Amino acid sequence: MKVLAVVSSKGGVGKTTVTANLACALARQGRTVVVLDLDPQNALGLHFGINPSEFRGISRASLAQQSWKSVVFESRTGVYVLPYGVVNEDDRDRFEHLIETRLSWLRDHLQELNLPPDAVVLLDTPPGPSVYLKQALAEAHLALVVVLADAASYAALPLMQRLVQTYCAGQPNFSEALYVVNQTNNSRQLSKDVSNVIRTSFGDRVVGIIHQDQSVGDALANDLCVLDYESGSQAANDFRACAEKIAQRLPTRTATA
Amino acid sequence: MSTTSPPRPPAVGSPEDTQADPSKRWGRFLNRVTESPVWNHPVAQYATGILAFLLFLLVISVPLDLTEQVIFAGTTFAVALLLRRTKGRVTTLAMMTLSISASTRYIWWRLTDTVGFENPLDAFFGFGLVAAELYAFTVLLIGYFQTIWPLGRKPVPLPADSSTWPSVDVFIPTYNEPLEVVKQTVFSAMSLDWPADRLKVYVLDDGRRSDFRKFCEEVGVGYKIRGNNRHAKAGNINAALATTDGEYVAIFDCDHIPTRSFLQVCMGWFLKDDKMAMLQTPHVFFSPDPFEKNLETFHRTPNEGELFYGVVQDGNDLWNASFFCGSCAIIKRAPLMEIGGVAIETVTEDAHTALKLHRKGYNTAYLEIPQAAGLATESLSGHIGQRIRWARGMAQIGRLDNPLFGPGLKIGQRLCYLNALLHFFYGLPRLIFLTAPLAYLLFGAHVFQATALMISAYALPHLAHASITNSRIQGRYRYSFWNEVYESVLAWYIMRPVLMAFINPKLGKFNVTAKGGVIEEAYFDWGIARPYLVLLIANLLGFAVGVWQLVFQDNPEITTLFINMLWTGYNIVLSSASLAVASESRQVRVTPRVAAALPAAIRLEDGKVLTCQTDDFSQQGLGLTVPDGVQIPTGTKLQVSLFRSDEEGVFPAVVTFGGKGRLGVRFDDLSLAQQAELAALTFSRADAWVGTWGQRQQDKPLSSLGGVLAIGVRGINELANNIVKSLRVRRTSNAK
Repeated sequence: MKVLAVVSSKGGVGKTTVTANLACALARQGRTVVVLDLDPQNALGLHFGINPSEFRGISRASLAQQSWKSVVFESRTGVYVLPYGVVNEDDRDRFEHLIETRLSWLRDHLQELNLPPDAVVLLDTPPGPSVYLKQALAEAHLALVVVLADAASYAALPLMQRLVQTYCAGQPNFSEALYVVNQTNNSRQLSKDVSNVIRTSFGDRVVGIIHQDQSVGDALANDLCVLDYESGSQAANDFRACAEKIAQRLPTRTATA
Repeated sequence: MSTTSPPRPPAVGSPEDTQADPSKRWGRFLNRVTESPVWNHPVAQYATGILAFLLFLLVISVPLDLTEQVIFAGTTFAVALLLRRTKGRVTTLAMMTLSISASTRYIWWRLTDTVGFENPLDAFFGFGLVAAELYAFTVLLIGYFQTIWPLGRKPVPLPADSSTWPSVDVFIPTYNEPLEVVKQTVFSAMSLDWPADRLKVYVLDDGRRSDFRKFCEEVGVGYKIRGNNRHAKAGNINAALATTDGEYVAIFDCDHIPTRSFLQVCMGWFLKDDKMAMLQTPHVFFSPDPFEKNLETFHRTPNEGELFYGVVQDGNDLWNASFFCGSCAIIKRAPLMEIGGVAIETVTEDAHTALKLHRKGYNTAYLEIPQAAGLATESLSGHIGQRIRWARGMAQIGRLDNPLFGPGLKIGQRLCYLNALLHFFYGLPRLIFLTAPLAYLLFGAHVFQATALMISAYALPHLAHASITNSRIQGRYRYSFWNEVYESVLAWYIMRPVLMAFINPKLGKFNVTAKGGVIEEAYFDWGIARPYLVLLIANLLGFAVGVWQLVFQDNPEITTLFINMLWTGYNIVLSSASLAVASESRQVRVTPRVAAALPAAIRLEDGKVLTCQTDDFSQQGLGLTVPDGVQIPTGTKLQVSLFRSDEEGVFPAVVTFGGKGRLGVRFDDLSLAQQAELAALTFSRADAWVGTWGQRQQDKPLSSLGGVLAIGVRGINELANNIVKSLRVRRTSNAK
């Protein structure tokens, strides 16, 4: 089992969308893919067709000391989804307190799931520093930093680099931080320049350049990932390429998977 | 097979196994003999040489009667056919030896046994044919020498530290070509992968045009003009040499677009070899030449130039005799200045410049890696005009600076230059071959003083050996019999200029009007076609006379008639194939359109982006393959992306047609920066268009003959159609 934490220092960079579509693309490779929503917005489930009024999720399960197996939803595309779930404010405080005090909370729950060796777990995290991010990064083999090809996103990059440094340094599992530039549009000079700067600064650690493509939004409106909705779109192509590059950093799939 | 492995069960009915062992044993035996140290001793070497020479004399000169000659020739040819089944260069050498023996034997017999002519008419036609045959024989021999072991030179890597790389000036000479054409070459030259502080691009404008100056200033390349146009391109380059200072000069005709890797691929040899003065790469073309266009053979049959760049230049390279071909080449400045710049004495300044460098003891090289491509001449008249210039220039070199004489050259270089020169004298011999049987059929002249069967027994082996040997050497770069078509088309036109230039180097300037650029409507070039028409009619007449004699004459010389009619039949095919070339088909594009599958994407107005790939690209637009069911109305504005690994360029475009998974877009008002970016993502990329070079199938002589026959039929057909058409036009205009 490999854990991939999807992170960003700023909100609104399309992190959840990237997580969902990447999960689809990885699942297409024949892997077992689990997505885990660590963001109280509980938005990840929407990408996989989970009923918006569904309140079950890892928050309630953790508080009730239940196994996460009870809150696994299997999506149409074969991705296993662990939603954050719906909780009231008090419960959320209790939940976050629980995470803060139990440093092995995430590890224990993941181990309990008994995932096969080729499985990939994608962690969707809230933007910026949080209790969720701290545990996600501590558990992660790979961190995937999502940025937009704009000035603000670029300016916020050092913050995320520091967080990754702080939480991942010394973790035996952690191998490296990867970067995805989301919603690029090279007909705009700024977008092009920022993508180029990011590419030159991080080299082959930039594993994805995802084009700004209306198909992604349309896919969400249809409860689908863009690979299923518009397979010939540039964004679908980009996600496939990105999944391919990530797969090269994961152990090869076993025949029994 | 290791000795410890268990014995294999005996193979039943498997020819592979039963044959493998004896041939292996034979191979081991041969190896033991040839690797024996005895051969290193000079006595052994000389003795073998003398023995071989005596045997050769015996083989070519012993007179045999018909039966014996048939048996001898048949056996030899069977050996050649057997040899042909094995791979490797040694086999090719063996086949060359057999071919040389058969041809020399024929020529020996021809000169000693067949020229006792009885009357002046026979002697006139007879000696004419002998002379043509001697020419062909000489060219065959030198041709074998020239291509005995094509060097197959590989690029030498440059030192990793790019700060040690030398400075290069890129010259793009132009005279009257449109800016649209030159732009592309300039953009590609600018994106050559080379340290920017050591790369300067210059447009050398002999047209002195203000829009060129403006363009060069805007994109930031040098613009050079001079006060006159003396010595055309050579003078233009020399004038620029005087005001520039790069250590090397790369020269591109203004319609030859280099790929970005050109300098990195080519420069290594200069750093390795201090005496290296010039390196040439092949000229390849995006567009079909008139032969390919009018015969519809583009990308199926190798064109006229491919033999030169595929085999001849590579063969020259072994003898350190690669020629400069005027474009797609690099010259080192110091040696070039030492010989006084580009040669101006002849109209083929390029070959002459290389000759002068060789005379000074410098080396030249040829790299058979296409690194630039251009537009072929559009019309047959333009093509012929260009060949006339080459032919005339080589004849001038023969007169003014004959490579057989003068200082500084090695024997190999002399022979390579001699063949280049002799090659252009094929006009008259080719016309003789195209008319020779008519001497008998129409005038009753006996050009051979021998029986028809004897002639066949000697001449057929000579022709057949030469044919299969050349087919093997030229294989992927020229198909059998096609050369005869190319030569037949040009023969009449280059004959006069060459002969006149050889008599007096100043003479022989003939103007063939090029229709230029766009051929709006298909037409038949009656003016150009006239000589082939005459040849065709004469040969048809000869054939008819032959038939008449067979049917109505008492005691016809059946075999003689039959052989002459067969030859005439072949000449009819060649003349009508030449006619097919004169039928100009429509040519509408001024700038090249290149077929290439490159990754692309289109962004529609609603923000959706579809991934797709190109079918072809040009400066003006793209042809795209889009997913089925994508319907985009004509006139829709969109943005189209082109990718080169992680690089992406986005260009505004308008849909010009759509349907069935295909989409055509025209670029919409690109800025200069966008045009340069487009060039970098299309023409400059090394992976886009070099695919077809040398990738063709090996020649199959019989199917090539079939192809030429089909072209002959096509020629007659076009001729008939055009006669009907012009009669109809005349009738309607008379009616008015």
